[in-house]
Amino acid sequence: MTAHPIELTVNGRRVSGMAEPRTHLAEFLRGPLGLTGTHLGCEQGVCGACTVLIDGKPQRSCLTFAVSCNGDEIRTVEGFDDDPVMTELREAFSAHHALQCGYCTPGMLVTARDIVTRLGDVDEETIRRELSGNICRCTGYVGIVGAIRQVAAGKTAVAQNWNFEARHDAVAAKTVEAAPAAEAAKPASMDFSTAGDGFSVLKQQVTVPAPADQVWAVLGDIRRMAACLPGASVDTVEGDRVTGSLTISFGPIKASFAGEGEVARDESARTGTVKGRGRDAKGGSSATGEIAYAVLPQGEGTIIDVTVRYKLTGPLAQFGRSALVTDFARRMTDLFAANLTAMLTGTPGAEPARSELSFLTVASMMLGALRDRLKALIGR
Amino acid sequence: MASTVVEGEGIGARVRRKEDARHLMGRGRFVGDIQIQGLQEVAFLRSPIAHGHIRSLAKPQGQEAAVFFWSDMASAVTPIITRSTMPGYKLSSYHPLAHEKVRYVGEALAMCVAASRAEAEDLTEAVTFDIEELPAVTDSEAGKAADSALVHEEWGDNLCLVTNFDSGIDEVAKTAPVKVVREYRTARQCMHPMEGKGLVAYWDFQADQLVVITSTQVPHLIRTGLSECLGLDQSRLRVSPPDVGGGFGYKCLLQPEEVAVAWLAMTRKGAYRWVEDRREHLTAGANARQHHYKVTAYADERGRLLGLDAEINVDIGAYSVWPFSACLEAAQAGGNLPGPYDFRAYRARTYSVATNKPPFAPYRGVARPGVCFAIELTIDAIARAVGRDPADVRAENLVQAAQMPYTNVTNKHYDSGDYPGSLAKAREMIGLAAIRERQKGREPDGRRIGVGFSTYTEQSAHGTKVFAAWGLPLVPGFEQATVKLLADGTLEVRAGIHTIGQGLETTLAQVANQALGIPLKDIAVKLGDTASTPYSTGAYASRGMVMAGGAVSKSATELAGRVKRLAAHLMQCKPEDVDFRQGRIHAGEASLSFADIGKAWYLRPETLPEDIDTNGLEVTQGYKPDVDSGVFSYATHAALVAVDPDTGMVEILDYVIVEDCGQMVNPMIVEGQAYGGAAQGIGTALFEESPYDSSGQPLASTLIDYLLPGPTELPGFRIGHMETLSPYSAHGIKGVGEGGAIAPAGAIVNAINDALQELGAEIGQIPATPERILNAIFAAQPKQAAE
Amino acid sequence: MKPAAFDYNKPADLAAALHALSGDAKPIAGGQSLTPMLNLRLARPAALVDIRRQADLLKISEAPDAIRYGAALPHAAFEDGAVPDGTNGMMRHVAGGIAYRAVRNRGTIGGSIAHADPAADWISALLALDARVIVQGAKGETAWPLDRFMLGGFTTVLEAGDLITGVSVPRLSPSARWAYYKICRKTGEFAKAIGAVVSDPDRGVFRIVCGAIEVTPILLEARSVEAALAEIDSRLADHAPAARQLYKTAMRRALEGLGETSA
Repeated sequence: MTAHPIELTVNGRRVSGMAEPRTHLAEFLRGPLGLTGTHLGCEQGVCGACTVLIDGKPQRSCLTFAVSCNGDEIRTVEGFDDDPVMTELREAFSAHHALQCGYCTPGMLVTARDIVTRLGDVDEETIRRELSGNICRCTGYVGIVGAIRQVAAGKTAVAQNWNFEARHDAVAAKTVEAAPAAEAAKPASMDFSTAGDGFSVLKQQVTVPAPADQVWAVLGDIRRMAACLPGASVDTVEGDRVTGSLTISFGPIKASFAGEGEVARDESARTGTVKGRGRDAKGGSSATGEIAYAVLPQGEGTIIDVTVRYKLTGPLAQFGRSALVTDFARRMTDLFAANLTAMLTGTPGAEPARSELSFLTVASMMLGALRDRLKALIGR
Repeated sequence: MASTVVEGEGIGARVRRKEDARHLMGRGRFVGDIQIQGLQEVAFLRSPIAHGHIRSLAKPQGQEAAVFFWSDMASAVTPIITRSTMPGYKLSSYHPLAHEKVRYVGEALAMCVAASRAEAEDLTEAVTFDIEELPAVTDSEAGKAADSALVHEEWGDNLCLVTNFDSGIDEVAKTAPVKVVREYRTARQCMHPMEGKGLVAYWDFQADQLVVITSTQVPHLIRTGLSECLGLDQSRLRVSPPDVGGGFGYKCLLQPEEVAVAWLAMTRKGAYRWVEDRREHLTAGANARQHHYKVTAYADERGRLLGLDAEINVDIGAYSVWPFSACLEAAQAGGNLPGPYDFRAYRARTYSVATNKPPFAPYRGVARPGVCFAIELTIDAIARAVGRDPADVRAENLVQAAQMPYTNVTNKHYDSGDYPGSLAKAREMIGLAAIRERQKGREPDGRRIGVGFSTYTEQSAHGTKVFAAWGLPLVPGFEQATVKLLADGTLEVRAGIHTIGQGLETTLAQVANQALGIPLKDIAVKLGDTASTPYSTGAYASRGMVMAGGAVSKSATELAGRVKRLAAHLMQCKPEDVDFRQGRIHAGEASLSFADIGKAWYLRPETLPEDIDTNGLEVTQGYKPDVDSGVFSYATHAALVAVDPDTGMVEILDYVIVEDCGQMVNPMIVEGQAYGGAAQGIGTALFEESPYDSSGQPLASTLIDYLLPGPTELPGFRIGHMETLSPYSAHGIKGVGEGGAIAPAGAIVNAINDALQELGAEIGQIPATPERILNAIFAAQPKQAAE
Repeated sequence: MKPAAFDYNKPADLAAALHALSGDAKPIAGGQSLTPMLNLRLARPAALVDIRRQADLLKISEAPDAIRYGAALPHAAFEDGAVPDGTNGMMRHVAGGIAYRAVRNRGTIGGSIAHADPAADWISALLALDARVIVQGAKGETAWPLDRFMLGGFTTVLEAGDLITGVSVPRLSPSARWAYYKICRKTGEFAKAIGAVVSDPDRGVFRIVCGAIEVTPILLEARSVEAALAEIDSRLADHAPAARQLYKTAMRRALEGLGETSA
């Protein structure tokens, strides 16, 4: 994680310095360069307080690493003293009471200047839409919109400078088309609910074309069961006690839950449970869960009734888009069933288990780290 | 709607703000901007568990000196305990770092220090801990149940405070011809100043004191609070607030992080900074607004409100915040639910229920956005029940202008105003008659339009008697301000209140200008620093202009007298012949500059008269209104909305504010406060919500989950002013900071319900999300859901 | 929050970038989806490989039947019409509705696809346009239809060492029409529902996509408004009624609006 040398032009001045890869452009400007006019309001790309010009285009300095701006031209709120449009905007902001606490103001001004220069004489509706990436908590935007409208009046739009090379080909480039998908199996039916105690409950029936005895035996071997769960590994088995880990990933998110669990089996009823708990030490999220299964013969094959209860705490739990996880869980369950089938029937699955798809820890830690709400941030 | 244009720069003038220039140049100075040699950054490890016993907590090897637990500070620090004399109120100990138990997700477990914030965050990940999870209390109703888990075992239940008020409702309940029963819910919210809370603390060896540069609304209170928690003499504690990037109530509390970081600087004698980031604000910061109402209203056939019976539950979170306590909200809710209405039969029980969520704090409007929502929806429900226009029913129920001053059923003393007048004006501005006509037809786009009104009255700048009755750590007394004429004729105004965006550097200068005529450019306003300003309890309760304005006015008026006497001596005339014009001091043909006066006192004392007032040209006076039970601002908001019945989306087509805050000191700033408050109220009405799951995990940790209204979600507000001077306050000023946030939820949801009326649907829960509106439509029209 | 530490490198060419991507490294171009995840420490790659300025990823190649766009082209370049468009304005329209201008100036088409948020605009729009995601990896170059490239929310066929190098978008006939209707609670935020339609009778193409459904957008078989709504009800029966209502409304409005958006 060594620091990298970088060289930028900031407000017309060549500057150089060392930056750790993880240092945002905003921090580099605010810290070593002392340009504290660029504010951090959310570091999630939503509020716009950190907006600066990079090569003339407004961008988020909280979503930009300083190292990736090497060689770029940066302009911050401190760099517009000789800019006539900014002078007009400052005057208009004051006249229209477009600022109260002043925290969002630098980002507002940078965005406002872009609206005026790029779009020229725009109406209020356009101003509001273009300004939607900058949050002000004080003014209700009345003065900001009014000030921009005043300055924009009579201005001529100047298109943003882009320069991309377009090549004309007589024929399309040859690329191998992905093989057509095998007829997808009908997704398993799944019943998803949230219990009052903070646990999410997933019920699913998995049909496996193997005799019940064989299925029952495999499910009794925790290491073999784990082998059906990509990302899962068993460290120790001592009687009913199991230790292990489960690594799951969901887009760029990766979490590795390490923990312990207990296994219980009722031979006569052919039911079993795996309970467990684990913690993702780095990310600070924890998971607790229980898988209960019942093995029922059905003709030549077997039905496995699975009930999974799981609860997640910590950062991974603190999001809001529920259906994402239902989908994740469904895919994981299908994959588990496919791997189990492959193991039991000795035929490789139609698709090999992918490392980033995983399901249910051995220690049961849970169904994907993503309870009913993993919400990915800002995907666009 | 412009009011009379006031010339000059004094009270009533629409002048530009003195504070704008530095912010427009990017030269504001916020906590995060401060650079001090050797400054170290702090990050907090926070509990991922809502409720549990801390079984173990261990520092990473080799980093022990950079990681701190409660056990490190226990011998030197007293936890935050907020006392109150309200009967039955239960105490909680809020430890700056968790002790034995955690009671909400986000409660700080450890404080980690490093050269950069990123490295401090790395350290938090290296701390190991084990928390045995306990069942969490996450709902105020469930928290009242006998078998509920307990947030504080020693309480025996989860009820921090229960209040009962009953003026006698049984008779009305038996005889009233109309009875309306409703339940209302308001969401848990975060306040979201654009700048998080935060501080820099360092030891100043020269002054031999701890300096705390903290983003606060109440610097002098923070000195008191820190002094108590740290056991440090107030004389060795300076609180020096920088620019504050928005407050809204969030920054009128003693924060646990303030105590922890101040302790670090006090004991380590170094310089440390912590700034709350957005995720911390969303998942660990103090929350607001979450109420649950069960209301029964009684009325006559014309919709005249005869009585109101309410149960109010407030989900107060885990701890009582200092100094306002977790119970101010419910106390205010019970007392304010009757709002601007004239009726005498009222019963209210309030329950302040502890839950495993971040502590509850007073947010712009304090309880009144909730009670206004509840009473305003109830008024409309009554109107629908009797088949009349809600605007008419509302007008008849309001306290009438002729009744002023009016003492209501909960003994609130409404000092002045014309409540029905504000409604009538709003009704005219929004064009109610034309809207009713338009509603008879169909909208070309298939949407349904609706109009809603909401009228409130807001106690502002309530003072000694009111707070003393609550027995809180804070009881505001005389607000002080200093004015000082300098040798060059410029004026310094110093006050202990702080500016958080509300423009006090300008408006206090306007008040001084009113008394002295010194141009604003020659008036410097210094606020908040305990080292240089007289005591103030700070900026809350919409009290800034009433209290600090009153204090500046009183001090400046006294200074004016001294200046006149000195000028009379220098010009050889009588003091009563001296007046101030165009920034100079006149007596007949003769005139002096203020610099001449300053020079006489500071540089040419030989020219002073024998009987000179030896207090010189510096005056500190204390002020409170003659009657300090509060001056009541009021307003009516009117909203015209379009509801898309296919999506549940709401568009605000028009929004009118008619407000009366007494004498406006600067109409531009009054309007800015009204718009900004209304914007937050619209957030409350339509967008903002911090949901928690049943194990106490917060489900909104980003601004993608928690929607703040942006420019396209807000209307271009239209405003009308009324100016009924308060008989009690200096210049007749009333508070204006909070009011805008109170009315929008009532106006907008009334408008939504007006739009949905034909579909038979009604909502009583905010934010009014598309999902809630669609579900209300489905419930009313089961066929549509099935389609 | 600040990201956990990671290594960084900026390879000189595409081959070096592909090489650098093996292991626990993530490519970053605009980083407008990845960086928030890094800031929250939810994503913690060992290294970032900066491909923002890779010349190969900024190229546009125009063939008679399709235009291939480099993966690192930012949304705003499409919005501004700074790149050729073969979709009668559909891509330009869609690009202009992504997030906010400051994000569009840096965020890239390839990055958005790689992130595979089901609510993202490009995912639904490019499925409706029957575009191909060009993936370069150990096995060479493969062209994926969107609904096969995505395995589910935030999950794609991309493996370690794979990189999206471009998107190939078929050219529409001059007479083709399109519609794109999305429902958002707030400008620039994620859609709650997307209806995307491309009608190109001259090429025998009529594609209806129901998107922002928290899973991979679905290509409907229906050919009429009524049939589309019924198909949504049956295929997404396990979604909440209010959510389905939004999907259906977006779909209906897109189909009804089809007539108004011809070039």
